[in-house]
Amino acid sequence: MPLVDGLNQPVKAGPKEFEGLHLVPVPDEEKPAEALKWLDYYRKERRSLVMAMESCVKCGLCAEHCHTYLGTKDPNNIPAGRADLMRKVYKRYFTVQGKLFGKLVGAEEISMRTLEEWFSYYYQCTECRRCGHVCPFGIDTCEVTMIGRQILYNIGMIPKLHAATDVAILRTGNHMALTPSGIVDTLDFLSDEIEEERGFRIEFPVDKPNSDILYVPSSADFFLNPDTLKGAAEFFEYIGANWTISTRITEAGNFGYLSDQTRVQRELVNRVWEEVARLGVKKVVWGECGHGWRAAKMYIPTMSDYPTRMRVPITHILDEVAAYIKAGKLKLNPKNNFRAQGLPVTLHDPCNYARACGLVENLRVDLYASVTEVREMNPNREKTFCCGGGSGVLFDDPEMYQLRIKFSQKKADMIRATGAKVLCAPCSICKAQFHAMIPEHKLDVKLYGLIDLVGAALDFKGHRQV
Amino acid sequence: MPYIEVLGQKIEVDEDGFIQDPSIWTPELAKELAKMEEVPEMTEDHWKVVNYIRDYYLKHGIAPMIRKLCKDTGFSLKQIYELFPTGPAKGACKIAGLPKPTGCV
Repeated sequence: MPLVDGLNQPVKAGPKEFEGLHLVPVPDEEKPAEALKWLDYYRKERRSLVMAMESCVKCGLCAEHCHTYLGTKDPNNIPAGRADLMRKVYKRYFTVQGKLFGKLVGAEEISMRTLEEWFSYYYQCTECRRCGHVCPFGIDTCEVTMIGRQILYNIGMIPKLHAATDVAILRTGNHMALTPSGIVDTLDFLSDEIEEERGFRIEFPVDKPNSDILYVPSSADFFLNPDTLKGAAEFFEYIGANWTISTRITEAGNFGYLSDQTRVQRELVNRVWEEVARLGVKKVVWGECGHGWRAAKMYIPTMSDYPTRMRVPITHILDEVAAYIKAGKLKLNPKNNFRAQGLPVTLHDPCNYARACGLVENLRVDLYASVTEVREMNPNREKTFCCGGGSGVLFDDPEMYQLRIKFSQKKADMIRATGAKVLCAPCSICKAQFHAMIPEHKLDVKLYGLIDLVGAALDFKGHRQV
Repeated sequence: MPYIEVLGQKIEVDEDGFIQDPSIWTPELAKELAKMEEVPEMTEDHWKVVNYIRDYYLKHGIAPMIRKLCKDTGFSLKQIYELFPTGPAKGACKIAGLPKPTGCV
């Protein structure tokens, strides 16, 4: 959407999306009061929110650590400033000094304008948590963004992209509304490609009963990232796994986590356990997706409605690969890597792996064993900068798209500085962002996921090796 | 809901101009949608891509994987972008009457 009261905003959801979400939006005149009720609810529910509201001393350290501020120089994009959009309301209604002295202490009444500001800035934050990493008080501003987005969802202010994706989740169990027929046809096509590349065929089992491993790929891989799917199949084939993909949970991501952490996020959680039970799975292996891995690793255990005895371990495919490498069971030949082709590779650490899931060193175990030359970005690991598309701000309306270019400026400079010719980004949102941003910043790199590069370096001599 | 006027008919579209009911698609409508996507004239090559996407969607209910689209139509990704400056997902798929893609695209 164009500017609303001078604010950059994504297009908002309309009647069609509300119908799909079974959501009745609150009428505009009642929105401020309703939002305030929800803020009261969440301040009692989440200590992290109270801490963020009460503890910030505006030291400003977060400013230079936020790629959205570095890219836009908009003070409301300083993490402390962004949180202040909520803090001024919190002060006015929930603190004594705010109730007594109002504007003198920076407190402000809630209005429709306040909510429009929230909608603008809580959907410019990419929930990367770099500010939380450097804050001397340990304030996790991402929590403020998440609660801001949840309150907006509850009253019916949702970006169309997120709402339409949420509808697809409820209907199909994945973001892109993939159908079983489409899934099978796409995977069959990829089997053909593997046969052309390697001289033998690797099949993708779908909905296979009595499978040991359920592999949960990102649905975007079925449209944009064929090599990520192929890399995973090559790995499973190599280790001789009894694995399958399910057509009911073909989604490693979770847009519910980024917009509605109740009904929508839970939908994908429950689908995992339903499929574990239906297919007799012993282990769930997660595909490449940053926020999705955080939502899976950190939230499924406490969010699930299923009894613990029905649950099985959930691991990440890149951790699995690292375990096999450390055990000396994967024969990887970097020189034969037909995807990296001997070119220097740089690794983009997805924020959610690095700062929320501890998936840092294993990425390097996998990558260094698979390619001939790695050039680390600076800064990297838990100090990584976001790709600029995090938390699904992959909006394509002109104003928001321009912001995406600004948000990714810092990362583009870092990639360029390495001189690498291959960019390895093991996350679906990062890949979607880079597909668009590589040409925008005129970067001379080929884009791959990490399992893509592992698969291409596997030294097959015929079929199964382990 | 916004509308566009095509051949004297009101067609329901979303804010990005994607038609809301894929079943009302006709080649004439495609020509009108093409004008909105920086494709002034639909050539034989354009129709080859659009018809492929359309047939795939009717058969499988989703847009084809981009690499499959390239392979089966014989166009490289670069050529597809030359034909459809706004890209395969948001340009070609829109002209073929598909809904706007959701998720990480």
